[in-house]
Amino acid sequence: MNGVNLKTNTNIKLPLSFIIYALAALAFAVVVLFANSGELLAGEFRMPKIWMSAHVLLLGFALMTAMGAMYQLVPVTFLTPIWNQGFGYVQFAVTAVGLTVFALLLGYRTELAVYGAGVFVIGVLMFLFQMGMTLRAKKEHNVMYYFLISALTSLFLTITFGFMLVFNFAFGEVFHHVSVLLSHMTAGVAGWFTMLIMALSYKLVPMFSLSHGFSMKWSKGALSLYLMGLVALILSYWIDLAGLRQSGFLFLFFGFGCYFLDMKEILTKRMKKNLDHPFTFSIFAIINGLVIHFLAALAAFLKNDSQTFWSWLIFLYIFTWILFSIIGYLYKIMPFLWWTHKYSEKSGKEEVPLLKDLLNERLGTALFILFIFSVGGIFLSVALETGMLLFIGLGLLAFTSFLYGISVIMVLFK
Amino acid sequence: MSLKEEVLEALRDVLDPELGVNIVDLGLIYGVDINENNDVVVTMTLTTPGCPLHDSISHGIRNRLAVIDEVGKVDVNIVWDPPWDPSRMSEAAKKFLWG
Repeated sequence: MNGVNLKTNTNIKLPLSFIIYALAALAFAVVVLFANSGELLAGEFRMPKIWMSAHVLLLGFALMTAMGAMYQLVPVTFLTPIWNQGFGYVQFAVTAVGLTVFALLLGYRTELAVYGAGVFVIGVLMFLFQMGMTLRAKKEHNVMYYFLISALTSLFLTITFGFMLVFNFAFGEVFHHVSVLLSHMTAGVAGWFTMLIMALSYKLVPMFSLSHGFSMKWSKGALSLYLMGLVALILSYWIDLAGLRQSGFLFLFFGFGCYFLDMKEILTKRMKKNLDHPFTFSIFAIINGLVIHFLAALAAFLKNDSQTFWSWLIFLYIFTWILFSIIGYLYKIMPFLWWTHKYSEKSGKEEVPLLKDLLNERLGTALFILFIFSVGGIFLSVALETGMLLFIGLGLLAFTSFLYGISVIMVLFK
Repeated sequence: MSLKEEVLEALRDVLDPELGVNIVDLGLIYGVDINENNDVVVTMTLTTPGCPLHDSISHGIRNRLAVIDEVGKVDVNIVWDPPWDPSRMSEAAKKFLWG
């Protein structure tokens, strides 16, 4: 039996830099949302402070976490080392500075945001280059590889459309502003984040549930249908073709449905009965994703064009699918990073803790329940048009996010 | 007890830190070969290709076997073929994971 070369580990400091920045961004973003609860209640999402909060949440927290996690998980998932870790630190610095400047300018001096965005775009392009060089070394291409390539291509489209938007704010020279905005949002939340979570969960869900003998028979359907949905939906913003938008949403729903069926089979064939609560939270997010994709397809067929409805559907998509997935997985990934760094070489020499000993799982469970209550409360407050409930929901979300950030950081002291 | 038996018994002290089950009961060990110099080669797999804990488990094996005086050099050979299968787990491990 020939042994394999497993020297694919990334130095913990690289993913950790991204994750610590991400946790600070999460706390900042929810505080800004909390401070602007009045605009949210009025269904007014297109305000500079809300843009700032949305971008800090999606770029500062979700994107930076995703980048940090990819530096750790791509070598694990694809059995290939990161191309250049030193380049990774430079990429982190450029991205973090660009993003911070961009978000602040977006909130306070929108017309100047293009300058921060420029630096941020360079950081993202460096990341795409890093991942491209890393994945180029991979000779065998499985479905996860194609999911990841699709996600990275979507990220490129997202920043391209996004840069066109801020360029428009600064110089007012880009036509089709609404088409660019909708393309930017679709490529970002559905293309980049969803396809990335799909790619990584095909590896993480079997790993955390100790599943074996599953077929992944729906994975090619999930990939092709979801890609068809994305293309159709983005084209529908540019071409006035009857049924194109509805087809796009329907393909997205069917694609996500295929992914859901694969995840269900993986979990059915698991060997670990009681799943960890953070991981269960990420599984719960998949159900949310399926329901929201269904609602979007239904609303598209009913030709519902209420801006408030779609704004809140996107809010729920971002929070209950994308962020809940990331929050759950991060709670699992952080102990692994720290354990590998601190205890790996002590294993076998002395008694070392298990991964689950590094986290307070009861606190985690309480936090996950609070996340659900706070997002549920925010959504309910809009349905009932109750300002007080929105205020409480956003306050609870800010409080929970702070505690979550602290509880993840506390792993570093164990 | 032969040296090979002693090595196998010692490997029971090496845990998968994610699952909390030792690597012998998990069925990860495919073989232990000992040459005339008492150098040990542990051939093993992981529950999933690319399991991120491979370095930790390898360190655990080397550290634990270093305690046995008779053991010479230790090499950990990780293979994917044949792939790990749950049927390789001991009844104790199955009971621990499934209840």
